[in-house]
Amino acid sequence: MDRVSKDQLHYLLLKTHSLTGLVPIGAYLCVHLSVNSLRTVGVLPYQLSIDAINNLPFLIWIETIFIYIPLLFHSFMGFYLSKNARYNLARYRYPRNGLYTLQRLSGAVVFVFLVYHVGTTVVPKWTNGKHLFEAAPFLIEIMNMEFQTWTGRIIYLIGIASAAFHFANGLWGFCISWGLVVGVRAQRNAALAFSLVGVVLTVMGLATVFEFSVHPESTVPTIAGVFSGKGGG
Amino acid sequence: MASDNIQIKVKRQDGPESKPYWQEFEVPFKPHSNIISCLQDIQRNPSTCKGERVNPVVWECNCLEEVCGACTMVINGRVRQACTALVHKLDHPITLEPMSKFPVVRDLHVDRTRMFRNLKKVKAWIHVDGTHDIGEGPILPDEERAKRYVLSECMTCGCCLEACPQFSKDNNFLGAATFAQVRLFNAHPTGKFDQEQRLDAVMGEGGIADCGNAQVCVEVCPKHIPLTESIADVGRQTTLQILKNLFFK
Repeated sequence: MDRVSKDQLHYLLLKTHSLTGLVPIGAYLCVHLSVNSLRTVGVLPYQLSIDAINNLPFLIWIETIFIYIPLLFHSFMGFYLSKNARYNLARYRYPRNGLYTLQRLSGAVVFVFLVYHVGTTVVPKWTNGKHLFEAAPFLIEIMNMEFQTWTGRIIYLIGIASAAFHFANGLWGFCISWGLVVGVRAQRNAALAFSLVGVVLTVMGLATVFEFSVHPESTVPTIAGVFSGKGGG
Repeated sequence: MASDNIQIKVKRQDGPESKPYWQEFEVPFKPHSNIISCLQDIQRNPSTCKGERVNPVVWECNCLEEVCGACTMVINGRVRQACTALVHKLDHPITLEPMSKFPVVRDLHVDRTRMFRNLKKVKAWIHVDGTHDIGEGPILPDEERAKRYVLSECMTCGCCLEACPQFSKDNNFLGAATFAQVRLFNAHPTGKFDQEQRLDAVMGEGGIADCGNAQVCVEVCPKHIPLTESIADVGRQTTLQILKNLFFK
């Protein structure tokens, strides 16, 4: 293939921006919220799932390649692209125009939230050297503390709802810009289906926040072969 | 002043580089009058409400039946054609502004050259004159013809671009009208000959991928062209094209 021209590069960057929103970031969001919702089942299954993740080999590489790099690319590309937007919702008040505006706004909100979220969970985990089975109790304690105040709860409510909206609405945009959904009726049906996705993700996230807020439970590191949680044996 | 006069506020600009300013005019109300006839009234007696004698307001118009697109302007904050903007259906006082996404020539007259240049970029035509005979065009099924007919109604008026949050004076976004024409000509059996060139033209900076799906274009299109469907359709064509470019060439 010849050297890529400026126009081709522009197109490929935009397509990559669109794709990274779905895979791996969107996919990760679904996994993350699903795994976290295990907290509503009980602190033990939740802890075991965190153990499983923190015992993955090459965790830092998996995180960097599949989460941090795509996320940073998607974020900075998003900020760069939204500089081009000339919002006109005040003049042209249509639902889709509202969602267009909200998509860019929620992206910025999620970015700020993620800086906070990563800064208060993953960063202390690394700086305190809490790895493998040590990670789960440490992280659970951080979340217990977080959800004791309304400030923490509200930050997470806004962050989760924004992320779920941004993903669900972005999924719709993805389907249109890649031409998976074309007709007007198909676009409307896709919007209905994806709004359901957004609602389910939000509810899962909020249920987790609720559980943490109402039943904060501390744990001790799991010892392989022995249950460590309350009443374990 | 008689109560059945119409107040019209016009955003005026003396030349492409000069500063815009507002002037208010009053014209007599006539049943079934449109914005064009009001502007003609102003032309007959170019005095502002303050009694100041001014230059008549400049605007463009041609067909007077919403098929040419020349009289497109922003009326009461919304982009549309002046010829079909009937005075008795509008809120008063009426405000008239030139389109904001195109360079102003004077007053309400804007320069839409960018749109025509974009049509050239995507080869929005069908090649019939060449070095070899391409024969007669095949007959289209009527369903296909009907789909194409709607797209062919585009009058390059600029409404979709004026209302588009992605389209601005300082970028080179092609815009909904251009994408719909790509669809129109790619859907023609003879037009298909240049399909790849058209797709390549919309797969660059300002191309189809820059669309933000705000979908205001389809809401303001006076010809009810399925613009968002066309964008998705061209999106599909470019997806297949990029896969072909990346993996099969």
